[in-house]
Amino acid sequence: MSSLPKNARDVVIVDGVRTPFAKAGTKLKTVHAAQLGQVALKELIARTNLNVNLVDEVILGNTGSPSDAVNIARVVALNSGFPLSTSAVTVHRNCASAMESISSGFERIRSGTMDIIVAGGTENMSQMPFIMPPAITSIIERLGSARSGGAKISALWDWLMADLKQIKEMATTAPLAKTKYKPIIALAEGLTDPFVGMNMGMTAEVIAKEFGITRRQQDEYALLSHQKATAAKSKIKEEMTPLYLPPDFKETITEDIGPRDNQTLEALQKLKPFFDKVTGTITAGNSCPITDGAAMVLLMAREKAEALGYKPVARIRGYGYVGLEPERMGMGPAYSTPLALKRAGLTMKDIGRVELNEAFAAQVLACQKAFESDEFGKKLGLAGRIGELRSDILNVNGGAIAYGHPVGATGSRITLTLMKEMQRSQIQFGLATLCIGGGQGGTIILENEG
Amino acid sequence: MSAIQFTTKNIQGNDVAILTFDRPNERINKLSTPVMRELRDHLEKLKTSNYKMVLFRSAKPTIFIAGADIEEIRQLKTIEDVQTAVQSGQEIMNLIEDLPMPTMALIHGACAGGGCEMVLACDYRIATEDSSTRIGLPETKLGIIPGFGGCVRLPRVVGLQAALDVILAGKLLNAKKALKIGLVDFVVHPNLLENFADEQIQKIIADGGQKRRKKFMPKGIVAGLLEGVLSGVVYKKAKEGVMKASKGHYPAPLAALEVIRRTYGSAHRTQALKTECEEFAKCALTDISKNLIHVFYLTEMVKKQTGVANGSIKAKPVKHLGVLGAGTMGGGIAYVAADKGIDVRVKDISFDANSKALKHARDLWARLAKKRVIDNYQFTQKMALVSTTTDFSGFKNIDVTVEAIVEDMSIKKKVIAQTASEMRSDAIIVTNTSSLSVTEMSEGHPHPENFAGMHFFSPVHKMPLVEVIRSPKSSDETIVTVFELAKKMGKMPVVVKDGPGFLVNRLLLPYMAEAAFLLADGMDIEKVDKAFVYEFGMPMGPFELMDSVGLDVCLKVLKIFKSAYPDRIEIPPLMEKLEQNKKRLGQKSSLGFYKYSQDGRKTEFDGSIYSELGLPAPTNPLSIAECIERCVFSMINECALALDADRIVETPHEVDLAMIMGTGFPPFRGGLLKYADSVGAVYIVDQLNKYSAERKANRLKPSSKMMERAKSQATFYKQQESQ
Repeated sequence: MSSLPKNARDVVIVDGVRTPFAKAGTKLKTVHAAQLGQVALKELIARTNLNVNLVDEVILGNTGSPSDAVNIARVVALNSGFPLSTSAVTVHRNCASAMESISSGFERIRSGTMDIIVAGGTENMSQMPFIMPPAITSIIERLGSARSGGAKISALWDWLMADLKQIKEMATTAPLAKTKYKPIIALAEGLTDPFVGMNMGMTAEVIAKEFGITRRQQDEYALLSHQKATAAKSKIKEEMTPLYLPPDFKETITEDIGPRDNQTLEALQKLKPFFDKVTGTITAGNSCPITDGAAMVLLMAREKAEALGYKPVARIRGYGYVGLEPERMGMGPAYSTPLALKRAGLTMKDIGRVELNEAFAAQVLACQKAFESDEFGKKLGLAGRIGELRSDILNVNGGAIAYGHPVGATGSRITLTLMKEMQRSQIQFGLATLCIGGGQGGTIILENEG
Repeated sequence: MSAIQFTTKNIQGNDVAILTFDRPNERINKLSTPVMRELRDHLEKLKTSNYKMVLFRSAKPTIFIAGADIEEIRQLKTIEDVQTAVQSGQEIMNLIEDLPMPTMALIHGACAGGGCEMVLACDYRIATEDSSTRIGLPETKLGIIPGFGGCVRLPRVVGLQAALDVILAGKLLNAKKALKIGLVDFVVHPNLLENFADEQIQKIIADGGQKRRKKFMPKGIVAGLLEGVLSGVVYKKAKEGVMKASKGHYPAPLAALEVIRRTYGSAHRTQALKTECEEFAKCALTDISKNLIHVFYLTEMVKKQTGVANGSIKAKPVKHLGVLGAGTMGGGIAYVAADKGIDVRVKDISFDANSKALKHARDLWARLAKKRVIDNYQFTQKMALVSTTTDFSGFKNIDVTVEAIVEDMSIKKKVIAQTASEMRSDAIIVTNTSSLSVTEMSEGHPHPENFAGMHFFSPVHKMPLVEVIRSPKSSDETIVTVFELAKKMGKMPVVVKDGPGFLVNRLLLPYMAEAAFLLADGMDIEKVDKAFVYEFGMPMGPFELMDSVGLDVCLKVLKIFKSAYPDRIEIPPLMEKLEQNKKRLGQKSSLGFYKYSQDGRKTEFDGSIYSELGLPAPTNPLSIAECIERCVFSMINECALALDADRIVETPHEVDLAMIMGTGFPPFRGGLLKYADSVGAVYIVDQLNKYSAERKANRLKPSSKMMERAKSQATFYKQQESQ
């Protein structure tokens, strides 16, 4: 085993908390991302009895950038009771934004620049906006700058006509089809690669076809994710704080709204492919749902944690991000993991648990194949395969197909889930990894401190 | 040393005179007689000077002029005193108004009462946007009316409706509001005040340096009609509003209204000011005014106090507050703390219970947001300060925890011990018990010096009183910290010694019990309640009060009293009977003596209660005077013991403050003991003797300490204090 001696500047994770995750459009749809973040962060502060005055920085991932909270980390920090003087920054690396918050924090602490950092992420995908198309905004601009009554009336008339066209397009075109007057769905744009123009689902289709992942394999994997998640319900609660649902507080959300204990293979198989309707295999059932939620972790320099009397859960051994073809972004983990392992001085043999984010079942299964392929390893410039990615250590409590994938929060969620699982099962090394829209992979490696 | 500095300044070749108010070695500026004399001297000289303008400003950091000298007003004894004082003030304001050159007030900080009247006499007014800048006429709150021309000049400057708003309610406006109604001409950042004023002065001088008599110009036809032809409607509405709020117990707003009605629009300044002076004199010499000034002093007294004799002991900072129990009290405490920026963590045993506290607080803030008292950002910030838990997570960060769980000694002791073990050893726990012994409860705490009582009154967001209950083991530091915390939460703390019912409940329970005896004697419930409200001035009658406290709670506390004072406490059998019907516990069960809606509003009287209690229809055999005296004298009778024998509090001042802030005892009576002094111990004892004989009621016998007072004809307040 490649355990390293303890070092004062080791970066340790003291604890972490997340909100329940809820499928977009359900229970959390009215809760602002900043508020989701605040619920998780306030609970993290409480559980660790943290003196917020000692925290050097709050780094949060978020991809939606709500227009009323663009540096959302600052909003979350202040509403969570941090002093005005605490620095707060929002980071964006798409699906790995919250992992970026942890790796950024890791670097700041390792370098000796900082000692205590809150990292995490928050996302409300339900609230991603509909944007007015330029065809209509240009009319509104005209209206705003119109000086004469005639010009105003003309602009108003054009606006009315544009609205009518919009309604017509809404009624006659496919829901996701982009047209001149229909509102732009920010979420749909966000899930479309801006370089190659391919939807994330289509990138998964590419991988499924190239790696020969069948529909049945994917559906079976998805079913397993739900089964593992529902079986792990009580374990997962350890990482969660209840969320009292405003404004009436009539309901308290205490578990994820995503994992289904009544999921059947038959039901999954009945679903139609969503992206490639003719030859495709990717369905809503074997992909992760879009989701709302937040997850936070507390990072410290080991010497600081010791001085404050904390007993850390894990030490961060290393991380890595690597880019690849955007249209194969789902393979990201297979690229970033070897790099992270190399930096940590470990091999897959050392790793006892893997959280590989389930963006799509196809992409997870393809990564598993790639990890075990000598050919793939060589393509990466390795001597051979990356190493075996055994099913019995992979996503043992289910993954994003069940829990969901609130894009800006997943990176810290999988790190948190991994860390708690390693603690429960007394595993020395584990890694969390995810594929990143735009064509990147990210991996972080933890060592148990328990 | 003088209180007004005279300086001059040359602005582009024009000499401007500046009068700077700065009372030496004092925190505030006020228009006391010496200051007024000085001001008059300056004005007399300026009258014949060649200055192009005169400026009025203050050198105090947060005070412009706080007002007249309240002590001087309190000392006014005769109608001649009053007239001399008022006329002299009016003359000085006239001098300002009549100066040949334009005048300008630079208002930064509190500008109240006489200060406001002074700036109203100026031609131009510029205020700073600082939060300390508050302008208005609070006189009616002290039972008097603006007497230095405020009743005459404010309506002229801001219009009838806005002026009535300010004067009748005794409001102080922030700069933004003052600008909106036209009370000031400009609002600027404090740093810009001097330069901005200079620019304005240049403009005014360049425009010919004319005097200006600002006159309110109504905007729109309706506003115009209401200012003029239809002003009768405005007066009528205003009077109705005053009567509804004051139930006719407070004459000052009506007097102010009368002055405005008779003088608004009049061109005869002398006559108008004479009217103002006459009405002022009527108010200033009343007991009501003296009592309201007394109450003002009581609240000022608390501001200066720390809760202990040793003034050098400092309060520990309280940034994080824990609340155990998310019920009505816990939720209310969480609300008031978070409203003042304290981070609050509420702990109860279930999510449902915690939800209620969150909803309670949210609904109150939502109401404020709806009324635009706070904006949506403040709403979010306040709400973010409240978190909840079902375990003790976060309690190591908490400085003070308020326990507001079920009223059960053994459970409380256990929970306090457990909570103490979850908190830092220097943290404080306080109990919000209303009836149990704080001293006994402190045995549950491993460090009883860090334990005390902190008794809030329901509804917490409305009732200003907090009884800080000191057990023999509570440390001074604990008391100072809790006292300061109560103040930070916007409350009026009074330190009381431990003892059954502490102070307020100890006095209230005999009062409420006596009302139950009145009911047994055949009195009509509504009639008694109305008498207390309209005749005596209580915010609600004793029966409604019992409903709001809860019959079960009343009875529980009465039983504790009975065991502590078996000789003089009598539990009304009616109350025991009522309490057995668990549906009739009062407001919380939506049914008591009255019916209540879901949201706790009183809807109607429930007539079926008489037959339910086996009583015949009320015949009202007793006089209203007897009803009031039996109930109120019961309180005074008990208070004599609480104060003289048990020294629950040290001074009559604390009793009166507690009764006014905790029960709404009519402020115009100056408090329970002010009232007692006004009727006299001899009379009280005589009446108590009479009633106890006539009604065969031992409980009404004068207490030993009351008799002593009657014998020596001693007042509760020492003579010089009770003027």
